[in-house]
Amino acid sequence: MMETERTYRSEAKRNRRILLLLLTTLLLLSVLFLFAGRYPKGGLTFPSDLATNHLMQNIMLNVRLPRILLALIAGAILSAAGFTFQMLFSNPLVEPGFLGVSQGSAFGAALVIVAGTNNSAMVQVSATFFGLLALGASYFLAKRFRFGGWLLRLVLSGIAVSAIFSSALGVVKLVAEPTKDLQDITFWMMGGLWNSNWKQILTIMPVVLVCLAILFSYRWRMNLLSLQEKSAYSVGLNPKVDRTVLLVVATVGTTLTISLTGLIGWVGLIMPHLARKLFGSDSKAALPGSMVMGSLFLLLCDTVGRTLLPTEIPIGLLTSFIGAIIFIVILSLKHQGGKA
Amino acid sequence: MTALKIDNLSFTYPSGTRALSNVSLEVGQFTTLALLGSNGAGKSTLLDLLFGWKPSSNIFLFGKPLKEYGRKELGRNIALVPQSEHYNFSFTLLEYTLFGRAPYLKEMASPSDGDVRIAYEALEMVGMASFAKRSVTTLSGGESQLVLIARAIAQGSKVLLLDEPTSALDPANRRKVIEILNLLHDQGKTIIFTTHDAQFAYELATHVAMLKGGKLLSFGTKERVVTSSLLTTLYDTEMTVCTVGEKTLIY
Repeated sequence: MMETERTYRSEAKRNRRILLLLLTTLLLLSVLFLFAGRYPKGGLTFPSDLATNHLMQNIMLNVRLPRILLALIAGAILSAAGFTFQMLFSNPLVEPGFLGVSQGSAFGAALVIVAGTNNSAMVQVSATFFGLLALGASYFLAKRFRFGGWLLRLVLSGIAVSAIFSSALGVVKLVAEPTKDLQDITFWMMGGLWNSNWKQILTIMPVVLVCLAILFSYRWRMNLLSLQEKSAYSVGLNPKVDRTVLLVVATVGTTLTISLTGLIGWVGLIMPHLARKLFGSDSKAALPGSMVMGSLFLLLCDTVGRTLLPTEIPIGLLTSFIGAIIFIVILSLKHQGGKA
Repeated sequence: MTALKIDNLSFTYPSGTRALSNVSLEVGQFTTLALLGSNGAGKSTLLDLLFGWKPSSNIFLFGKPLKEYGRKELGRNIALVPQSEHYNFSFTLLEYTLFGRAPYLKEMASPSDGDVRIAYEALEMVGMASFAKRSVTTLSGGESQLVLIARAIAQGSKVLLLDEPTSALDPANRRKVIEILNLLHDQGKTIIFTTHDAQFAYELATHVAMLKGGKLLSFGTKERVVTSSLLTTLYDTEMTVCTVGEKTLIY
Protein backbone atom coordinates (compact mmCIF):
# COMPACT_ATOMS: atom_id res chain seq x y z
CA MET A 1 0.00 0.00 0.00
CA MET A 2 2.77 2.39 0.96
CA GLU A 3 4.39 1.56 -2.36
CA THR A 4 1.40 2.84 -4.33
CA GLU A 5 1.14 6.00 -2.27
CA ARG A 6 4.82 6.56 -2.90
CA THR A 7 4.36 5.91 -6.64
CA TYR A 8 1.40 8.30 -6.76
CA ARG A 9 3.40 10.96 -4.94
CA SER A 10 6.51 10.42 -7.05
CA GLU A 11 4.46 10.73 -10.24
CA ALA A 12 2.98 13.96 -8.93
CA LYS A 13 6.51 15.13 -8.15
CA ARG A 14 7.68 14.11 -11.64
CA ASN A 15 4.81 16.07 -13.19
CA ARG A 16 5.66 19.11 -11.10
CA ARG A 17 9.29 18.89 -12.23
CA ILE A 18 8.29 18.71 -15.90
CA LEU A 19 5.92 21.64 -15.43
CA LEU A 20 8.65 23.66 -13.75
CA LEU A 21 11.05 22.83 -16.56
CA LEU A 22 8.51 23.92 -19.17
CA LEU A 23 7.78 27.13 -17.25
CA THR A 24 11.49 27.93 -17.00
CA THR A 25 11.92 27.27 -20.73
CA LEU A 26 8.92 29.48 -21.42
CA LEU A 27 10.34 32.30 -19.33
CA LEU A 28 13.81 32.07 -20.85
CA LEU A 29 12.47 31.94 -24.40
CA SER A 30 10.12 34.86 -23.71
CA VAL A 31 13.09 36.97 -22.63
CA LEU A 32 15.26 35.72 -25.50
CA PHE A 33 12.58 36.40 -28.11
CA LEU A 34 12.31 40.00 -26.90
CA PHE A 35 15.62 40.42 -28.65
CA ALA A 36 14.52 38.57 -31.79
CA GLY A 37 13.00 40.35 -34.76
CA ARG A 38 13.69 42.05 -38.04
CA TYR A 39 14.80 45.41 -36.64
CA PRO A 40 17.40 46.78 -37.00
CA LYS A 41 18.27 43.68 -39.02
CA GLY A 42 16.98 40.09 -39.04
CA GLY A 43 18.07 37.99 -36.06
CA LEU A 44 18.90 38.79 -32.45
CA THR A 45 19.67 42.24 -31.11
CA PHE A 46 22.64 42.47 -28.76
CA PRO A 47 21.83 43.98 -25.37
CA SER A 48 24.79 46.34 -25.86
CA ASP A 49 23.02 47.91 -28.86
CA LEU A 50 19.96 48.49 -26.76
CA ALA A 51 21.42 51.12 -24.47
CA THR A 52 22.01 53.61 -27.26
CA ASN A 53 19.10 52.82 -29.54
CA HIS A 54 15.93 54.43 -28.22
CA LEU A 55 13.80 53.21 -31.10
CA MET A 56 14.95 49.68 -30.30
CA GLN A 57 13.97 50.17 -26.66
CA ASN A 58 10.59 51.41 -27.77
CA ILE A 59 10.08 48.44 -30.09
CA MET A 60 11.01 45.99 -27.35
CA LEU A 61 8.81 47.52 -24.70
CA ASN A 62 5.80 48.57 -26.75
CA VAL A 63 5.77 46.16 -29.68
CA ARG A 64 7.51 42.90 -28.81
CA LEU A 65 6.73 42.69 -25.07
CA PRO A 66 2.94 43.09 -25.41
CA ARG A 67 3.02 40.75 -28.37
CA ILE A 68 4.92 38.08 -26.45
CA LEU A 69 2.59 38.53 -23.50
CA LEU A 70 -0.41 38.10 -25.80
CA ALA A 71 1.14 34.91 -27.26
CA LEU A 72 1.55 33.51 -23.73
CA ILE A 73 -1.97 34.39 -22.60
CA ALA A 74 -3.61 33.34 -25.87
CA GLY A 75 -1.73 30.03 -25.93
CA ALA A 76 -2.70 29.28 -22.33
CA ILE A 77 -6.39 30.11 -22.67
CA LEU A 78 -6.92 28.49 -26.10
CA SER A 79 -5.24 25.35 -24.86
CA ALA A 80 -7.06 25.36 -21.50
CA ALA A 81 -10.39 25.97 -23.22
CA GLY A 82 -9.77 23.10 -25.64
CA PHE A 83 -8.84 20.88 -22.72
CA THR A 84 -11.97 21.91 -20.83
CA PHE A 85 -14.23 21.21 -23.82
CA GLN A 86 -12.63 17.79 -24.26
CA MET A 87 -13.21 16.87 -20.63
CA LEU A 88 -16.76 18.23 -20.47
CA PHE A 89 -17.84 16.48 -23.65
CA SER A 90 -15.79 13.44 -22.74
CA ASN A 91 -14.32 13.56 -26.20
CA PRO A 92 -10.64 14.13 -26.92
CA LEU A 93 -11.47 15.45 -30.40
CA VAL A 94 -13.54 18.45 -29.35
CA GLU A 95 -12.43 22.06 -29.04
CA PRO A 96 -14.40 25.35 -29.04
CA GLY A 97 -14.11 25.58 -32.85
CA PHE A 98 -16.01 22.31 -33.24
CA LEU A 99 -19.09 23.78 -31.61
CA GLY A 100 -19.29 26.90 -33.73
CA VAL A 101 -17.64 29.21 -31.17
CA SER A 102 -14.85 30.36 -33.51
CA GLN A 103 -17.14 31.02 -36.48
CA GLY A 104 -19.66 32.74 -34.22
CA SER A 105 -16.95 35.00 -32.82
CA ALA A 106 -15.59 35.74 -36.29
CA PHE A 107 -19.05 36.75 -37.44
CA GLY A 108 -19.52 38.92 -34.33
CA ALA A 109 -16.22 40.71 -34.89
CA ALA A 110 -16.83 41.16 -38.64
CA LEU A 111 -20.26 42.61 -37.98
CA VAL A 112 -18.83 45.34 -35.76
CA ILE A 113 -15.98 46.03 -38.18
CA VAL A 114 -18.39 46.46 -41.10
CA ALA A 115 -20.71 48.60 -38.99
CA GLY A 116 -17.86 51.07 -38.94
CA THR A 117 -17.24 50.91 -35.22
CA ASN A 118 -13.54 51.25 -34.66
CA ASN A 119 -13.86 50.45 -31.01
CA SER A 120 -11.93 47.31 -30.02
CA ALA A 121 -14.09 46.88 -26.89
CA MET A 122 -17.15 46.61 -29.14
CA VAL A 123 -15.38 44.01 -31.29
CA GLN A 124 -14.62 42.01 -28.13
CA VAL A 125 -18.14 42.24 -26.76
CA SER A 126 -19.67 41.28 -30.09
CA ALA A 127 -17.21 38.40 -30.67
CA THR A 128 -17.88 37.07 -27.17
CA PHE A 129 -21.64 37.42 -27.52
CA PHE A 130 -21.81 35.59 -30.86
CA GLY A 131 -19.32 32.97 -29.66
CA LEU A 132 -21.58 32.21 -26.70
CA LEU A 133 -24.63 32.34 -28.94
CA ALA A 134 -23.04 29.76 -31.26
CA LEU A 135 -22.21 27.52 -28.30
CA GLY A 136 -25.76 27.82 -26.98
CA ALA A 137 -27.20 27.12 -30.44
CA SER A 138 -25.02 24.01 -30.88
CA TYR A 139 -26.07 22.76 -27.47
CA PHE A 140 -29.74 23.48 -28.08
CA LEU A 141 -29.74 21.86 -31.53
CA ALA A 142 -27.94 18.78 -30.20
CA LYS A 143 -30.74 18.39 -27.65
CA ARG A 144 -33.34 18.68 -30.42
CA PHE A 145 -31.69 16.33 -32.91
CA ARG A 146 -33.20 12.89 -33.13
CA PHE A 147 -30.25 11.08 -34.63
CA GLY A 148 -27.30 9.27 -33.08
CA GLY A 149 -25.76 9.57 -29.62
CA TRP A 150 -25.16 12.78 -27.68
CA LEU A 151 -21.62 13.38 -28.89
CA LEU A 152 -22.43 12.74 -32.52
CA ARG A 153 -25.42 15.08 -32.25
CA LEU A 154 -23.22 17.71 -30.66
CA VAL A 155 -20.58 17.51 -33.38
CA LEU A 156 -23.27 17.55 -36.10
CA SER A 157 -25.01 20.56 -34.58
CA GLY A 158 -21.59 22.24 -34.24
CA ILE A 159 -20.97 21.67 -37.96
CA ALA A 160 -24.40 23.12 -38.80
CA VAL A 161 -23.98 26.17 -36.56
CA SER A 162 -20.44 26.77 -37.88
CA ALA A 163 -21.75 26.59 -41.45
CA ILE A 164 -24.55 29.08 -40.71
CA PHE A 165 -22.13 31.57 -39.15
CA SER A 166 -19.64 30.97 -41.98
CA SER A 167 -22.21 31.85 -44.60
CA ALA A 168 -23.34 34.86 -42.57
CA LEU A 169 -19.70 35.89 -42.38
CA GLY A 170 -19.51 35.51 -46.16
CA VAL A 171 -22.40 37.95 -46.55
CA VAL A 172 -20.71 40.42 -44.23
CA LYS A 173 -17.50 40.11 -46.27
CA LEU A 174 -19.44 40.74 -49.47
CA VAL A 175 -20.74 44.07 -48.21
CA ALA A 176 -17.48 45.01 -46.46
CA GLU A 177 -15.53 47.97 -47.73
CA PRO A 178 -12.70 46.24 -49.68
CA THR A 179 -9.74 48.45 -48.84
CA LYS A 180 -10.20 48.57 -45.09
CA ASP A 181 -12.95 46.43 -43.51
CA LEU A 182 -12.38 43.40 -45.72
CA GLN A 183 -8.69 43.43 -44.83
CA ASP A 184 -9.51 43.58 -41.14
CA ILE A 185 -11.87 40.64 -41.50
CA THR A 186 -9.29 38.68 -43.50
CA PHE A 187 -6.82 39.31 -40.67
CA TRP A 188 -9.33 37.72 -38.39
CA MET A 189 -9.59 34.60 -40.43
CA MET A 190 -5.85 34.04 -40.60
CA GLY A 191 -5.01 34.95 -37.05
CA GLY A 192 -2.10 37.11 -36.03
CA LEU A 193 -0.59 38.94 -33.10
CA TRP A 194 0.79 41.87 -35.09
CA ASN A 195 -2.01 44.12 -33.98
CA SER A 196 -1.27 43.74 -30.27
CA ASN A 197 -0.56 46.74 -28.09
CA TRP A 198 -0.64 47.41 -24.37
CA LYS A 199 -4.02 49.07 -24.42
CA GLN A 200 -5.76 46.15 -26.10
CA ILE A 201 -3.98 43.54 -24.01
CA LEU A 202 -4.85 45.28 -20.78
CA THR A 203 -8.52 45.36 -21.84
CA ILE A 204 -8.79 41.60 -22.15
CA MET A 205 -6.09 40.43 -19.74
CA PRO A 206 -7.96 40.74 -16.42
CA VAL A 207 -10.95 38.73 -17.68
CA VAL A 208 -8.82 36.13 -19.46
CA LEU A 209 -6.63 35.71 -16.36
CA VAL A 210 -9.75 35.20 -14.25
CA CYS A 211 -10.96 32.59 -16.76
CA LEU A 212 -7.59 30.84 -16.58
CA ALA A 213 -7.66 30.94 -12.78
CA ILE A 214 -11.16 29.41 -12.66
CA LEU A 215 -10.27 26.63 -15.09
CA PHE A 216 -7.02 25.99 -13.21
CA SER A 217 -8.75 25.75 -9.85
CA TYR A 218 -11.28 23.27 -11.26
CA ARG A 219 -8.51 21.09 -12.67
CA TRP A 220 -9.14 17.96 -10.59
CA ARG A 221 -12.92 18.19 -10.67
CA MET A 222 -12.79 18.36 -14.46
CA ASN A 223 -11.92 14.66 -14.37
CA LEU A 224 -15.30 13.96 -12.78
CA LEU A 225 -17.12 15.89 -15.48
CA SER A 226 -15.72 13.51 -18.09
CA LEU A 227 -17.76 10.73 -16.47
CA GLN A 228 -21.29 10.07 -17.61
CA GLU A 229 -23.61 12.60 -16.04
CA LYS A 230 -25.23 10.13 -13.67
CA SER A 231 -21.86 9.05 -12.25
CA ALA A 232 -20.71 12.64 -11.81
CA TYR A 233 -23.96 13.36 -9.97
CA SER A 234 -23.59 10.31 -7.73
CA VAL A 235 -20.17 11.48 -6.45
CA GLY A 236 -21.69 14.73 -5.25
CA LEU A 237 -21.36 17.04 -8.24
CA ASN A 238 -24.02 19.10 -9.87
CA PRO A 239 -22.83 18.30 -13.39
CA LYS A 240 -25.28 20.53 -15.25
CA VAL A 241 -24.25 23.60 -13.24
CA ASP A 242 -20.52 22.77 -13.26
CA ARG A 243 -20.53 22.07 -17.00
CA THR A 244 -22.40 25.27 -17.80
CA VAL A 245 -20.09 27.40 -15.66
CA LEU A 246 -16.93 25.90 -17.14
CA LEU A 247 -18.25 26.04 -20.72
CA VAL A 248 -19.13 29.72 -20.36
CA VAL A 249 -15.76 30.50 -18.73
CA ALA A 250 -13.84 28.63 -21.46
CA THR A 251 -15.90 30.26 -24.22
CA VAL A 252 -15.59 33.80 -22.82
CA GLY A 253 -11.81 33.35 -22.45
CA THR A 254 -11.53 32.01 -25.99
CA THR A 255 -13.71 34.57 -27.70
CA LEU A 256 -12.13 37.53 -25.88
CA THR A 257 -8.71 36.30 -26.90
CA ILE A 258 -9.54 35.66 -30.53
CA SER A 259 -11.25 39.02 -30.72
CA LEU A 260 -7.67 40.35 -30.57
CA THR A 261 -5.74 37.59 -32.25
CA GLY A 262 -8.16 36.37 -34.91
CA LEU A 263 -8.76 32.68 -35.46
CA ILE A 264 -5.87 30.56 -34.22
CA GLY A 265 -6.78 26.97 -34.90
CA TRP A 266 -5.54 23.62 -33.62
CA VAL A 267 -3.93 24.88 -30.39
CA GLY A 268 -6.97 23.86 -28.36
CA LEU A 269 -7.06 20.46 -29.99
CA ILE A 270 -3.41 19.46 -30.09
CA MET A 271 -1.90 20.88 -26.91
CA PRO A 272 -4.25 18.98 -24.56
CA HIS A 273 -3.35 15.77 -26.44
CA LEU A 274 0.36 16.40 -26.05
CA ALA A 275 -0.11 17.37 -22.41
CA ARG A 276 -1.90 14.09 -21.70
CA LYS A 277 0.95 12.20 -23.35
CA LEU A 278 3.44 13.98 -21.11
CA PHE A 279 1.52 14.32 -17.83
CA GLY A 280 -1.03 11.47 -17.97
CA SER A 281 -4.80 11.79 -18.28
CA ASP A 282 -5.47 13.18 -14.78
CA SER A 283 -6.41 16.78 -15.51
CA LYS A 284 -4.92 17.85 -12.18
CA ALA A 285 -1.53 17.78 -13.91
CA ALA A 286 -2.53 17.71 -17.57
CA LEU A 287 -4.54 20.97 -17.54
CA PRO A 288 -1.73 23.19 -16.18
CA GLY A 289 0.65 21.29 -18.46
CA SER A 290 -1.62 22.02 -21.39
CA MET A 291 -1.71 25.74 -20.53
CA VAL A 292 2.08 26.03 -20.41
CA MET A 293 2.52 23.99 -23.58
CA GLY A 294 -0.06 26.15 -25.36
CA SER A 295 1.85 29.29 -24.36
CA LEU A 296 5.11 27.75 -25.51
CA PHE A 297 3.61 26.65 -28.82
CA LEU A 298 2.14 30.07 -29.64
CA LEU A 299 5.31 31.85 -28.53
CA LEU A 300 7.40 29.67 -30.86
CA CYS A 301 4.94 29.95 -33.77
CA ASP A 302 4.66 33.72 -33.41
CA THR A 303 8.40 34.20 -33.18
CA VAL A 304 8.96 32.06 -36.27
CA GLY A 305 6.12 33.90 -38.03
CA ARG A 306 7.57 37.35 -37.36
CA THR A 307 11.27 36.60 -37.81
CA LEU A 308 11.65 33.93 -40.49
CA LEU A 309 10.72 35.94 -43.58
CA PRO A 310 10.77 39.65 -44.37
CA THR A 311 6.98 39.38 -44.61
CA GLU A 312 5.16 38.14 -41.54
CA ILE A 313 3.56 34.68 -41.67
CA PRO A 314 0.11 34.77 -39.99
CA ILE A 315 0.23 32.68 -36.81
CA GLY A 316 -3.04 30.90 -37.61
CA LEU A 317 -1.47 29.44 -40.76
CA LEU A 318 1.51 28.17 -38.78
CA THR A 319 -0.52 26.67 -35.93
CA SER A 320 -2.82 24.93 -38.41
CA PHE A 321 0.06 23.53 -40.44
CA ILE A 322 2.12 22.35 -37.45
CA GLY A 323 -0.98 21.27 -35.52
CA ALA A 324 -2.21 19.13 -38.38
CA ILE A 325 1.18 17.41 -38.68
CA ILE A 326 1.29 16.72 -34.93
CA PHE A 327 -2.28 15.43 -35.14
CA ILE A 328 -1.35 13.00 -37.91
CA VAL A 329 1.66 11.79 -35.93
CA ILE A 330 -0.36 11.34 -32.70
CA LEU A 331 -3.08 9.38 -34.46
CA SER A 332 -0.53 7.21 -36.24
CA LEU A 333 1.26 6.39 -32.99
CA LYS A 334 -1.85 6.02 -30.88
CA HIS A 335 -2.02 3.18 -28.39
CA GLN A 336 -4.35 2.25 -25.53
CA GLY A 337 -7.29 1.27 -27.66
CA GLY A 338 -7.51 4.62 -29.40
CA LYS A 339 -8.20 6.50 -26.18
CA ALA A 340 -6.56 9.76 -25.21
CA MET B 1 -32.98 1.43 12.07
CA THR B 2 -34.46 2.30 8.67
CA ALA B 3 -31.89 3.34 6.09
CA LEU B 4 -34.30 4.14 3.28
CA LYS B 5 -38.02 4.70 3.38
CA ILE B 6 -40.06 4.93 0.22
CA ASP B 7 -43.52 6.28 0.92
CA ASN B 8 -46.20 5.92 -1.74
CA LEU B 9 -43.81 6.75 -4.56
CA SER B 10 -45.06 7.28 -8.10
CA PHE B 11 -43.12 8.52 -11.10
CA THR B 12 -44.23 9.52 -14.59
CA TYR B 13 -41.78 10.43 -17.37
CA PRO B 14 -42.30 13.73 -19.22
CA SER B 15 -43.40 11.63 -22.21
CA GLY B 16 -46.35 10.48 -20.11
CA THR B 17 -45.10 6.94 -19.47
CA ARG B 18 -45.89 5.96 -15.91
CA ALA B 19 -42.84 4.08 -14.57
CA LEU B 20 -43.80 3.63 -10.90
CA SER B 21 -47.15 3.57 -9.10
CA ASN B 22 -47.62 3.88 -5.36
CA VAL B 23 -44.51 2.02 -4.29
CA SER B 24 -43.92 1.88 -0.52
CA LEU B 25 -41.19 -0.01 1.27
CA GLU B 26 -38.72 0.35 4.11
CA VAL B 27 -35.14 -0.84 3.85
CA GLY B 28 -33.42 -1.46 7.16
CA GLN B 29 -29.75 -0.84 7.75
CA PHE B 30 -27.47 -3.82 6.97
CA THR B 31 -30.04 -5.09 4.48
CA THR B 32 -29.14 -6.32 1.01
CA LEU B 33 -32.19 -5.66 -1.12
CA ALA B 34 -32.75 -6.98 -4.62
CA LEU B 35 -35.11 -5.00 -6.85
CA LEU B 36 -36.31 -7.87 -8.99
CA GLY B 37 -38.35 -7.63 -12.15
CA SER B 38 -38.44 -7.94 -15.92
CA ASN B 39 -37.10 -5.32 -18.31
CA GLY B 40 -39.20 -2.17 -18.06
CA ALA B 41 -40.59 -3.05 -14.62
CA GLY B 42 -39.37 0.26 -13.16
CA LYS B 43 -36.25 -1.03 -11.35
CA SER B 44 -33.77 1.40 -12.87
CA THR B 45 -36.20 4.31 -12.49
CA LEU B 46 -36.53 3.46 -8.80
CA LEU B 47 -32.74 3.32 -8.48
CA ASP B 48 -32.44 6.74 -10.16
CA LEU B 49 -34.95 8.13 -7.68
CA LEU B 50 -33.09 6.63 -4.73
CA PHE B 51 -29.92 8.67 -5.27
CA GLY B 52 -31.75 11.84 -6.22
CA TRP B 53 -30.99 11.75 -9.95
CA LYS B 54 -34.71 12.02 -10.49
CA PRO B 55 -36.37 14.25 -7.90
CA SER B 56 -38.94 12.93 -5.44
CA SER B 57 -40.50 14.05 -2.17
CA ASN B 58 -41.44 10.54 -1.12
CA ILE B 59 -38.02 9.13 -0.27
CA PHE B 60 -36.35 9.41 3.14
CA LEU B 61 -32.71 8.54 3.80
CA PHE B 62 -31.96 7.91 7.48
CA GLY B 63 -35.20 9.68 8.35
CA LYS B 64 -34.47 12.84 6.37
CA PRO B 65 -36.18 13.65 3.05
CA LEU B 66 -33.75 12.96 0.22
CA LYS B 67 -34.36 16.35 -1.35
CA GLU B 68 -33.12 18.08 1.80
CA TYR B 69 -29.65 16.58 1.38
CA GLY B 70 -26.93 18.78 -0.11
CA ARG B 71 -25.17 17.37 -3.19
CA LYS B 72 -21.99 16.37 -1.36
CA GLU B 73 -23.82 15.25 1.77
CA LEU B 74 -25.87 12.88 -0.38
CA GLY B 75 -22.69 11.65 -2.08
CA ARG B 76 -21.27 10.79 1.33
CA ASN B 77 -24.37 8.79 2.25
CA ILE B 78 -25.30 6.99 -0.94
CA ALA B 79 -23.08 5.69 -3.77
CA LEU B 80 -24.00 4.41 -7.20
CA VAL B 81 -22.39 1.64 -9.22
CA PRO B 82 -23.73 2.22 -12.75
CA GLN B 83 -24.21 -0.67 -15.13
CA SER B 84 -21.29 0.55 -17.21
CA GLU B 85 -19.09 3.59 -17.78
CA HIS B 86 -17.53 4.93 -20.96
CA TYR B 87 -13.82 5.48 -20.57
CA ASN B 88 -12.67 8.13 -23.01
CA PHE B 89 -9.50 9.11 -21.17
CA SER B 90 -6.72 6.84 -19.96
CA PHE B 91 -7.02 7.39 -16.22
CA THR B 92 -5.16 4.84 -14.11
CA LEU B 93 -7.33 2.62 -11.91
CA LEU B 94 -6.10 4.52 -8.86
CA GLU B 95 -6.92 7.92 -10.39
CA TYR B 96 -10.33 6.61 -11.37
CA THR B 97 -11.08 5.12 -7.96
CA LEU B 98 -10.07 8.42 -6.38
CA PHE B 99 -13.09 10.02 -8.07
CA GLY B 100 -15.14 8.39 -5.31
CA ARG B 101 -13.51 10.78 -2.82
CA ALA B 102 -15.09 13.84 -4.47
CA PRO B 103 -17.88 14.29 -1.88
CA TYR B 104 -15.23 14.81 0.81
CA LEU B 105 -13.24 17.44 -1.07
CA LYS B 106 -13.81 21.16 -1.25
CA GLU B 107 -14.81 22.56 -4.65
CA MET B 108 -11.32 23.36 -5.82
CA ALA B 109 -9.31 20.83 -3.82
CA SER B 110 -7.46 17.75 -5.02
CA PRO B 111 -7.28 14.40 -3.21
CA SER B 112 -4.92 14.11 -0.24
CA ASP B 113 -2.56 11.24 0.65
CA GLY B 114 -5.33 9.95 2.93
CA ASP B 115 -7.70 9.83 -0.05
CA VAL B 116 -5.10 7.94 -2.08
CA ARG B 117 -4.82 5.38 0.74
CA ILE B 118 -8.61 4.93 0.88
CA ALA B 119 -8.82 4.53 -2.91
CA TYR B 120 -6.02 1.99 -2.85
CA GLU B 121 -7.74 0.02 -0.09
CA ALA B 122 -10.91 0.00 -2.16
CA LEU B 123 -8.96 -1.42 -5.10
CA GLU B 124 -7.45 -4.01 -2.75
CA MET B 125 -10.90 -5.02 -1.63
CA VAL B 126 -12.00 -5.79 -5.19
CA GLY B 127 -8.70 -7.53 -5.96
CA MET B 128 -7.49 -4.92 -8.45
CA ALA B 129 -4.78 -3.24 -6.37
CA SER B 130 -1.94 -4.83 -8.29
CA PHE B 131 -3.26 -3.12 -11.45
CA ALA B 132 -3.54 0.31 -9.80
CA LYS B 133 -1.32 1.90 -12.46
CA ARG B 134 -3.11 0.32 -15.40
CA SER B 135 -5.34 2.41 -17.65
CA VAL B 136 -9.10 2.06 -17.33
CA THR B 137 -9.34 1.93 -21.13
CA THR B 138 -7.72 -1.53 -21.07
CA LEU B 139 -10.27 -3.10 -18.69
CA SER B 140 -12.47 -6.02 -19.64
CA GLY B 141 -16.19 -5.88 -18.81
CA GLY B 142 -15.71 -7.84 -15.57
CA GLU B 143 -12.71 -5.80 -14.44
CA SER B 144 -14.56 -2.60 -15.24
CA GLN B 145 -17.43 -3.66 -12.96
CA LEU B 146 -14.95 -4.32 -10.15
CA VAL B 147 -13.37 -0.89 -10.57
CA LEU B 148 -16.79 0.77 -10.56
CA ILE B 149 -17.49 -1.02 -7.28
CA ALA B 150 -14.10 0.14 -5.97
CA ARG B 151 -15.01 3.74 -6.80
CA ALA B 152 -18.25 3.35 -4.82
CA ILE B 153 -16.38 1.74 -1.89
CA ALA B 154 -13.93 4.66 -1.88
CA GLN B 155 -16.98 6.90 -1.56
CA GLY B 156 -17.39 5.48 1.94
CA SER B 157 -21.18 5.77 1.99
CA LYS B 158 -23.45 3.66 4.16
CA VAL B 159 -25.80 2.87 1.28
CA LEU B 160 -24.67 1.33 -1.99
CA LEU B 161 -26.84 1.19 -5.12
CA LEU B 162 -25.93 -1.12 -7.99
CA ASP B 163 -27.62 -1.17 -11.38
CA GLU B 164 -27.62 -4.72 -12.83
CA PRO B 165 -24.18 -5.45 -11.35
CA THR B 166 -23.67 -8.84 -12.99
CA SER B 167 -25.75 -8.63 -16.16
CA ALA B 168 -22.70 -8.67 -18.47
CA LEU B 169 -20.36 -10.83 -16.41
CA ASP B 170 -19.03 -14.35 -16.87
CA PRO B 171 -19.55 -16.83 -13.99
CA ALA B 172 -16.10 -16.22 -12.42
CA ASN B 173 -16.54 -12.44 -12.30
CA ARG B 174 -20.14 -12.88 -11.17
CA ARG B 175 -18.90 -15.00 -8.25
CA LYS B 176 -16.28 -12.36 -7.44
CA VAL B 177 -18.90 -9.58 -7.37
CA ILE B 178 -21.12 -11.65 -5.07
CA GLU B 179 -18.19 -12.23 -2.68
CA ILE B 180 -17.30 -8.53 -2.60
CA LEU B 181 -20.91 -7.48 -2.00
CA ASN B 182 -21.26 -10.08 0.77
CA LEU B 183 -18.13 -8.67 2.36
CA LEU B 184 -19.57 -5.16 2.16
CA HIS B 185 -22.80 -6.43 3.70
CA ASP B 186 -20.78 -7.92 6.57
CA GLN B 187 -19.12 -4.55 7.04
CA GLY B 188 -22.52 -3.02 7.68
CA LYS B 189 -23.39 -1.50 4.33
CA THR B 190 -26.95 -1.29 3.11
CA ILE B 191 -26.96 -2.60 -0.44
CA ILE B 192 -29.70 -2.18 -3.02
CA PHE B 193 -29.29 -3.68 -6.48
CA THR B 194 -31.47 -4.18 -9.52
CA THR B 195 -31.56 -7.46 -11.38
CA HIS B 196 -33.82 -9.56 -13.53
CA ASP B 197 -31.95 -12.70 -12.46
CA ALA B 198 -33.92 -14.37 -9.64
CA GLN B 199 -31.12 -16.84 -8.90
CA PHE B 200 -28.60 -14.03 -8.44
CA ALA B 201 -31.09 -12.08 -6.31
CA TYR B 202 -31.57 -15.10 -4.07
CA GLU B 203 -27.83 -15.76 -3.73
CA LEU B 204 -26.97 -12.22 -2.71
CA ALA B 205 -29.96 -10.52 -1.13
CA THR B 206 -31.44 -10.71 2.35
CA HIS B 207 -34.63 -9.07 1.10
CA VAL B 208 -36.35 -8.93 -2.28
CA ALA B 209 -38.76 -6.35 -3.73
CA MET B 210 -40.58 -7.59 -6.82
CA LEU B 211 -41.61 -4.93 -9.31
CA LYS B 212 -44.04 -5.53 -12.12
CA GLY B 213 -45.33 -2.83 -14.45
CA GLY B 214 -44.13 -0.15 -12.02
CA LYS B 215 -46.03 -1.64 -9.08
CA LEU B 216 -44.66 -3.41 -6.05
CA LEU B 217 -45.79 -7.02 -6.39
CA SER B 218 -44.21 -8.26 -3.19
CA PHE B 219 -41.60 -7.25 -0.65
CA GLY B 220 -40.02 -9.12 2.26
CA THR B 221 -37.24 -11.51 3.20
CA LYS B 222 -36.07 -13.59 0.28
CA GLU B 223 -37.27 -16.80 1.85
CA ARG B 224 -40.79 -15.38 2.06
CA VAL B 225 -40.92 -13.64 -1.31
CA VAL B 226 -38.98 -15.84 -3.70
CA THR B 227 -41.57 -18.52 -4.31
CA SER B 228 -42.58 -20.39 -7.46
CA SER B 229 -45.99 -18.76 -7.59
CA LEU B 230 -44.78 -15.17 -7.09
CA LEU B 231 -41.95 -15.60 -9.60
CA THR B 232 -44.41 -17.08 -12.12
CA THR B 233 -46.65 -14.05 -11.67
CA LEU B 234 -43.65 -11.69 -11.85
CA TYR B 235 -42.25 -13.02 -15.11
CA ASP B 236 -45.47 -14.30 -16.74
CA THR B 237 -43.76 -17.61 -17.33
CA GLU B 238 -43.57 -20.83 -15.38
CA MET B 239 -40.86 -20.53 -12.70
CA THR B 240 -39.84 -23.09 -10.09
CA VAL B 241 -37.96 -22.70 -6.83
CA CYS B 242 -36.54 -25.91 -5.41
CA THR B 243 -34.05 -26.84 -2.76
CA VAL B 244 -31.28 -29.33 -3.42
CA GLY B 245 -29.26 -29.99 -0.28
CA GLU B 246 -28.33 -26.52 0.98
CA LYS B 247 -28.75 -24.92 -2.43
CA THR B 248 -31.84 -23.15 -3.67
CA LEU B 249 -32.25 -23.40 -7.41
CA ILE B 250 -34.54 -21.20 -9.46
CA TYR B 251 -35.34 -22.02 -13.06
